Formats: sequence, structure tokens, C-alpha cells
Amino acid sequence: MILEPAQKAETRPIERVIPFLSILIPGSGQMLLKKTWRGITIFIFTIILGYLVNWAYVKFEIAKVPTLGTWLVIPLVFFFLWNVLDAFLLSIHKKSPALIPVVCAAVILYVIGWSVTGVKMDRLVTRFADARTVMNRLVNPDFFSTNEGDKVVVCSWGCLWDYATARISGTEGPEIFVSQNVGQIFGQQGTITAPSWKVTFGLAEKNQRIPGFETGKIVETIAIGLLATLFSTVLAIPVSFLAAHNIMRRVPLGNGVYYVSRTILNFVRAIDTVVWGLIIIVWVGLGSFAGVIALTIHSIAALGKLFSEEIEHIDPGPVEAIEATGGNFFQVIRYAVIPQVIPSLLSYTLLRWDINMRSATVIGFVAGGGIGFFVLETIRMGGYQQYAAALWAIAVVIIVVDWISSKWRANILKDQPEATGKPTGWKKIRKYVYIFLGIAAFLYCWEITKIDLGKLFNPGPTFGRLLVDFISIDLSAKVIDNVLRELIITTMQALLATTLGGILAIPISFLAAKNLTGKSKFSAWIFYLTRSVFNVLRSIEALLYVAIFVYWVGVGPFAGMLALAITTFALMGKLFSEAIENIDPGPIEAITASGANKLQSIIYAIVPQIVPPFLSYLIYQWDINIRMATIIGFAGGGGIGLMLSTFFGSLQYHKAGTVMAAIVIIVAAMDFTSAKIREKFV
Amino acid sequence: MLKIENLSKTYPNGTQALHDVSFEVDEGEFLAVIGLSGSGKSTLLRCINRLIEPTSGKITWNGMDVTAASGKEIRNIRRQIGMIFQQFNLVKRSSVNTNVLSGRLGYVSTFPSLFHVFSKDDHERVKKTLDMVGLADKIDVRADSLSGGQQQRVGIARALMQEPKMILADEPVASLDPVLAHSILKYLEKLNKEYGMTVICSLHFLDLVHRYATRAIALKDGYLVFQGLPKEIDDVQFKQIYGKEAERIEIV
Repeated sequence: MILEPAQKAETRPIERVIPFLSILIPGSGQMLLKKTWRGITIFIFTIILGYLVNWAYVKFEIAKVPTLGTWLVIPLVFFFLWNVLDAFLLSIHKKSPALIPVVCAAVILYVIGWSVTGVKMDRLVTRFADARTVMNRLVNPDFFSTNEGDKVVVCSWGCLWDYATARISGTEGPEIFVSQNVGQIFGQQGTITAPSWKVTFGLAEKNQRIPGFETGKIVETIAIGLLATLFSTVLAIPVSFLAAHNIMRRVPLGNGVYYVSRTILNFVRAIDTVVWGLIIIVWVGLGSFAGVIALTIHSIAALGKLFSEEIEHIDPGPVEAIEATGGNFFQVIRYAVIPQVIPSLLSYTLLRWDINMRSATVIGFVAGGGIGFFVLETIRMGGYQQYAAALWAIAVVIIVVDWISSKWRANILKDQPEATGKPTGWKKIRKYVYIFLGIAAFLYCWEITKIDLGKLFNPGPTFGRLLVDFISIDLSAKVIDNVLRELIITTMQALLATTLGGILAIPISFLAAKNLTGKSKFSAWIFYLTRSVFNVLRSIEALLYVAIFVYWVGVGPFAGMLALAITTFALMGKLFSEAIENIDPGPIEAITASGANKLQSIIYAIVPQIVPPFLSYLIYQWDINIRMATIIGFAGGGGIGLMLSTFFGSLQYHKAGTVMAAIVIIVAAMDFTSAKIREKFV
Repeated sequence: MLKIENLSKTYPNGTQALHDVSFEVDEGEFLAVIGLSGSGKSTLLRCINRLIEPTSGKITWNGMDVTAASGKEIRNIRRQIGMIFQQFNLVKRSSVNTNVLSGRLGYVSTFPSLFHVFSKDDHERVKKTLDMVGLADKIDVRADSLSGGQQQRVGIARALMQEPKMILADEPVASLDPVLAHSILKYLEKLNKEYGMTVICSLHFLDLVHRYATRAIALKDGYLVFQGLPKEIDDVQFKQIYGKEAERIEIV
């Protein structure tokens, strides 16, 4: 009893000094008081915020106050003071208010973000007339045409209505026909380069132009997505074994191989498919083939990571059993590991197919194949109705793919043993029919995407220089300065888009939750309507939306940010509403039973349950948006993508290498941060 | 004959699972290994076929030095020692046929086995073995559609595919109900008596030891604390093995 206070008196002076360290170096006091992560976070945030405030003032005079400098110093000072206060309160075991630093950081980030992304909300209104023109064209896609005088014009809904009523009443209506645009999207009769099977059988010369059926751009896109998924799955399986710790532990030097493989996978994954496209076209030239390779490379890395994690989580029992029978390393893998991971591997492959189909719709922006290329052409020619037709075609394809993929995944993950008993009739031959159809589809895809493996060994003339330049990247001050500016703008675009999309999605998502909309016919309609809006908006990649906003608010980061916000809104809306549907109904019942009204039950029973998943999804989306923001510039959306495509276009590969390195660093850093935040708070 | 001399095992985290354990097992014995959970039974069994590397000590079996065997040699030794597990360790998604066939892996060459190519003899053997454990009609069903007792019989069939001279059974009945426990142990007894296989089996329940084992050893905290005939385990011995709090529980 006497000893204890004496001991306390001894430790007190040290604990009293520690908080003062946070005045010298922010966060250091917290670190010494055994709150290491808190200290590191404070330290890093102070540096980043300080740098940003200074950078924004020097470069753009953001938040300028005449003769005094920038008022953003005020939240910065508050942030610093809070850090000192926090250290003091920690030393006497008390909690500090968490709202202060969050508000300070938010003020600095949003004010700077608002300026550098060039947000001009007024344009949304002042240029509304332009928006209406675009919207009008978007809802009148170029599917049917009619003759107006001597000119062929798009037959809009009004014209279609006239045609329909005329047909029904039997009077003379406008003459309509399927547009040429439809032929380009879905396929039409025309001249084609002789297919390889005709060449093989001597029915045509190589590269001869013969009459035939031109492949539609959307069909080409589907083929790109299918082939990339197939190739990447086959290649990812061996790679994933190299990146699985429990497998590599068994072979000599395995640990080294494990770390090297994991690093390479993370590196490759950080670079978006579209950026890979830029590199691949230098290698094999423009075309669908380049698209397939770009998608495949990115997919191998993404699937390799997921597969290897799946392998690491298998039941070790069978491995032990096979080892006990005297089986060697390869037999263990074949009989104990592979059978266990097949369902989850298939499920990931299907998920990846969905993602690859979406990427395939935009890879054409750089690689020159599929519907992306067609969209780019229509935008260049200002053909917004043709563009609209392409978007609608994409939406239908992606929604169908999404549906098939999720249905199959649900089936696979159920993983029920098959019913016993002899298979009969159709079931007996079903397998062979599927195999035959699969091979036929594979060959067809191979043909129309013009796969030419020979090109891989015969790279383009500047590819060698690209490889050399990528190693000796340009690190001169001017380039670094420019890259950093674009990098900050890109990150801010992602931040604003996540915020804007998320805020819009929250109220709307309540309308799309089946358990809240109730049972009346009217609310059922609202449910289906909101869900459909989410699904249609979600099926189009952000890169494809940019054109609309470029027309509306002008070229630049603002347009890109709005495009990202749309996709954020759609995905968050869907995930939020599913999170709401998955809540435990017990508390709602209890609160309602206590006599609360609908709004009260939302606030007391639903909100506490949905805040953690909402936050988790938003952080996840922010991560996605950073990746997307790096490519949004290819369509005029500003940010680092524009810079990257300029450097590639002007063959300045050493500068392009700098940009790539910057992208890898920022994506990896955000990946790490978001994972940390999610495990900490959610 | 299996001879274990001064066997010790310390895990990397510092846990010492076995302390200087020595004993011998003659051919044709049914040796029961008893002890509380965590007393080192599983570690001991896995050291015998080197699924776990012993820290020190020596294991010799039929004149072969198990502890010194190289990769290829140890696989040759393992294929002569069948092993049965508490959790059966079947690949649940694979068919009974594949699971049983995998017992043959120590005998076949790697390349054909990667493509599921086995000889006609091996396929015949699967049928014979499944017949023996009474599961001939289940050959094509998936392992996870079987009951626990049936799964363990598949585990036994897999071990029998090895034509083992000795069987290690790590709590083979701990995940099964008492009635099934007897049916599984009867198979082991049959293998022991009719085919002359040596059986080393770790067990929880003393009455099962009395009923099936020809000899017993007991482990406590990694030390060998008893060695002798099952009937020699009296109440004093029992308390020493299982601790003072333990009560004898009889099961049917």
C-alpha cells in the first residue's frame, strides 16, 4: 500500500515530459505512450496536410487571404494543437475528442480538392441546355433510321410512335429501317479479311478481302472478355501456387519465391488494365489482340492473389493424409490441394469474367479493339446518338453477364454433391454438348480477336526502348513536379467523387431495400425502379460516362470527377441497399413495439447497424476510384491519365515510366491505408 | 519391430510435447496410447512416420532408421505405414474412389498419377478394400455425402490400399458416437488379428483400451508414465495418468 504511490511518483515525471515531444515532432508522444499506430498516423497526416496547404498556396494561391497568406493554416494549426492535447490526455489516460482532427483534415482536403479539380457547380445549371441536348440524344439512341427528304436521319421515339400507330391503323406512316450503326455494333454483311480456316483449306488467300459477315463491335468485346478470362485463369493457377505460403514452405528457397511472387502480383495489379493496354500496343500493335493481352496480364495478377489466398486457407488434414501415404510434393498438390480449391477458384473466375467484360468495354480507348474503340470514334465525330446506342448495347450485355455470373457463382458455392443414380438421356450427353460448344466458342473468339501469338516474339520497333526507358525513368525536378500535381488532382478527384456519390446514394439506397419499402404495389414499383437505375448505371464504366460530362461541363478534372461520382452512386446504392436488407430485424421489432414511429425506428434500430458496412464500402470504393481516376484522363476527364497518354503518344517512355511509378506508389499506399482503416474501424 | 529411443519434440513456440520417450512395439501388437488431450499422443504418432520432425531421439522400424531417412526413403517407409485420423482427413469434394485410390500414391510414379491414371490392379484393389469395409456401393459418391462412421471407414480403406505392415491411428473414434466407435475398432482388431498388422492407436476411453488393446502406454505432459498390459491400469494408475480430479466413466 505504501509502495504503490511511491512507484507512481517515480514514473510521473517521465510521463509528464512525453507529451511535450509531440510539440517538437507531432505523434511522437503518442508513439512513446504505446499508441504506435496513432502516433504514426498523426505524424504522416501532419506532413501531408502541411505539404498540401503549402503546395496549394504556392501553385494555385488556394484560400488566399491578402497579405496574410492562406487561411487553410488555421485548420492546420488546430490539427497540430489537437495532437498536443491528445498526447497530454493520453498521458493521464483520458480520451480526446476525435471530431476535431477529422474536421480539420476534411476542411483542408475538400477545400484544396474543390479547387484543383476545378469544381464549377454553376456550370451544371448554366450549361443545362447542353445537358438537355445530350440527355435527349441519350434517350434517343441510333437504332432505327428513316428518310426525311433525301437525308437519312435517326428515327426517334416520336417517329417510332408514328410508325407504330400508322401500322396499327393501316395508314401510310414513315418508312423506317435498321440503322447502319446497329450493324457496326452487332454485326452486318460486308467485306472482311479472309478467316484463317478458309486460308487453311485454300478457299482464300491470306489477308484477302472477301465478302462476309463483319463481326459486331459488341461481339468482339464479349470475345475479348471471354478469352482474357480463360487465359488468365489457366496462367494464374501455377502462379498462385508460387504465391501461397503453405505450399512454398515445402520446397527449398520457397520463402524467397513466395515474397518475390507476391510483390510482382501486387505491382502488376496496381496498374490498371487500360494502362497495360498502352504498353501492350507498343509490343504487339493496335487491335483486339492487344486488348486480350492487357486484360489477361491484369487478371493474372488479380486472380493469382485471390487464388493463392484461397490455397492458403485449405483444410490441412488431407495434405497430412496424402503425405502419410508416402505421396510426394506433386501428388500432395494434385490430390489434397487442388480438389479442395476448385469451387472457390471457379467462383473467382466467374467474378473475374464479370470484371473483365467491363474492362473489355473500355480497353478499346487505348488498344483499339471492341466497343471502346467504336465509342471513342463516335465521340470524336460528335455522334452522340450512335454513342448512346453503344451505351445501351453495353448495358444490356453487362447486365446479362452480371446475372449469369452471380447465378453460377451461387450454384458453385452451394457445392452440393450430385444426386446419385444413373444419368439418363439429356444429362448423359449434356457434358459432351457443353464441351463441343465451348471449343466452338473458343475457336470463334480466337478468330475474331485475331490472336497471333507470333507477334509476342516479334515486338514493335520501340518496345525495346520502352523497356530500357522504364528502368531509367525521368526523375528531373520538373517532371516530378508535374507528376505530383496530376497525382494530387487524381487523388482529389477520387475523394470528391466518393463523397458526392456516397452522399447521393445514402437516401436513395433506402428506396431500394426490400425490407423497408413495404408491401404496397406502389412501393414495390419504387423498389424495382431504383434497383434497375442502379443496375443500368453500374453496367457502364466511368470512362464511358466522361464524354457526357465533357459535353456538359467542359473538358477537365471536374468532368472526370462527375463520371466517377455516377459509378460510385450506382455501386454504393446497390451495396448500401443490400446492407440494409441484411440487417437483423429484431431491434426494429423491439423499437416499434415500444411505440416508436417509422423515422425513430430507422434512427435507433437501423442506422447503428448500417454505419459499419457503409463506411467499409465507402473506403473500398475510394480505393477503386483512385484506380479509375488514373485512367479517366484518357477520355478528357483530367488527372494523371491524360499526362500518361500524352507521354506514351509522344514516345517519351522515360517520363511515362515516372508516371507509372507514381501510380503504383499511390495505388499501393491507398490499398494499404484502406485495408488498415477497415480492419481498425469496421 | 518398432523401437523408439529417447524421443523428444520441442515445437518452435517452445512447447515441449515429448520428453525422452522410449518404448518398443513388437510385430502383431495392438498398442493403445492413452493420455489427456495435449499429453503428446498425436505428436508421438506423427513422429513415427515423420509427419512431424522429432527434435532428438531415434526411431527404428524393421531395421530401418526412420529418423535418418532421406526424402525418398521416408516416403518408402511411409507407404508401408497406414495412418488413420480423428477428422478422417478425406478430400470432402472428391469421390470415395479417388480418396481410396490416393492411398496408392506412394507406389505409383508421379506423372501418370497427376492425370489420375492408375493401373487396373489398383482399381481392383479399391473394389476389394471397399468391400472389406462394407462400402462397395458407395464407390462413386462424394465423400462429404457419407456419415461420419462411413467416412472413417473410407479413411481405413485408404490406409489399407498401402498394404501396410503397421497402422497408426490417431484417435480414430473420437469424432464418432460410441456405437460407431466399436464398429471402427472392430475393423482395426480384424486387421490386427487376421492380417497380422501392428496397430498403434491413441484412444480416450479406458474401456475401449481394455476391450481391444494387447498392450498400452500412457503419456502425461509428454512423459511416458505407464507401460504394460491394459488390465494393469488400476485406479491408482488411472489417477496418475488422468489427474486427481478424473473419474472413470464407462461407456457402452
